[in-house]
Amino acid sequence: MSKFYRKGTLAILFLSAWAAPSSFAKPQQAPESFQVVHVIGMQGVKQNTKGKVTVSKAGLEFVSGTTKSDVPTASVEDALTGADSQRLIGGTLGKLTILAPYQSGRFLSLFRTKLDTLTVTYRDSGGGIHGAIFTLPEGQAGLLKKQMVAEGAKTSISVEDEASQAANIKKAKEKKQ
Amino acid sequence: MKRAAERIARLLFLIAISLGCGLPSFGQPQKAGPFKSSAIQVLQIQSEDVKLPAEFQMSLYENVIEQVDKTKRFQHVYRDGEMSAMNAPDLVTLRCTVTGFTQGSAMARQVTTVAGTTTIAVHMQFTDKDGKRLFENDAKGQVRFFGENLRATYDFGKKVGAVVRENFVTTSPASK
Repeated sequence: MSKFYRKGTLAILFLSAWAAPSSFAKPQQAPESFQVVHVIGMQGVKQNTKGKVTVSKAGLEFVSGTTKSDVPTASVEDALTGADSQRLIGGTLGKLTILAPYQSGRFLSLFRTKLDTLTVTYRDSGGGIHGAIFTLPEGQAGLLKKQMVAEGAKTSISVEDEASQAANIKKAKEKKQ
Repeated sequence: MKRAAERIARLLFLIAISLGCGLPSFGQPQKAGPFKSSAIQVLQIQSEDVKLPAEFQMSLYENVIEQVDKTKRFQHVYRDGEMSAMNAPDLVTLRCTVTGFTQGSAMARQVTTVAGTTTIAVHMQFTDKDGKRLFENDAKGQVRFFGENLRATYDFGKKVGAVVRENFVTTSPASK
């Protein structure tokens, strides 16, 4: 019986060792559209609206149900990424956890998901400056920004510089701890 | 015993005087007006001395515009860079400069209640079309208990709205 288990374990280990490099070696491919939450700043879109963002030559388009809003590439003045986090259980349910007994709501606040933020500064047809902020799953903001820059959007900090800055901040935080 | 009672009485007297003199009421909008204007232009938030993340800077700007618009004190609320703002004869300009920023932690706030406060201190200046200063004010945007860090920008926007309500009166299109 123990021989059977040993063989089984070895087979699983072998399979996982074979599968692991193939999945890690794959470069992160940019999706065609990005799942985002619009925090603020897009014309005609309510705050904290979930939707999809697609980047084309024409510009950045945000779609949520019947709501559509777009930012022409030429009008983008800057695109900057950032990092944040949010409660794993958010929204109304998250707020209701305050009422949970024995302060367990506080305990649930420890469980968080990391987020990326993307801030797009653009001008409308009248010349007015707008700042649209989106939150995306971790690692997606850089990809979205890369697509925007590839299509001709301006940025004050390159994608690579931002990535190295973020890595430095992460290192500094780890050192502190 | 008599001395202790005297001391307490003296202390109470001092407290009463200090309250009666009207110590500066922090957090309350400073009243300088009332001013009357049909249009206001909100300039982009400046933060040269304080390092402020881009999302906070733009969120402050957007929230200020939204809250000023909500006051209904102006017929037009122009954004920074809007060409048509130049045509407004009595344009008021709002400049906001970030003077302090402490990025707290949403997790620390939600877990401990007392720690992790995010604070943004901003100096605002209202000027007329000639650049003459109308009045200045300081306000803080904070998120103390519940909510993510960017909520501090909403809090600041609300305070700007209160300052505008306090210092400006509504202009009707007919009175223009």
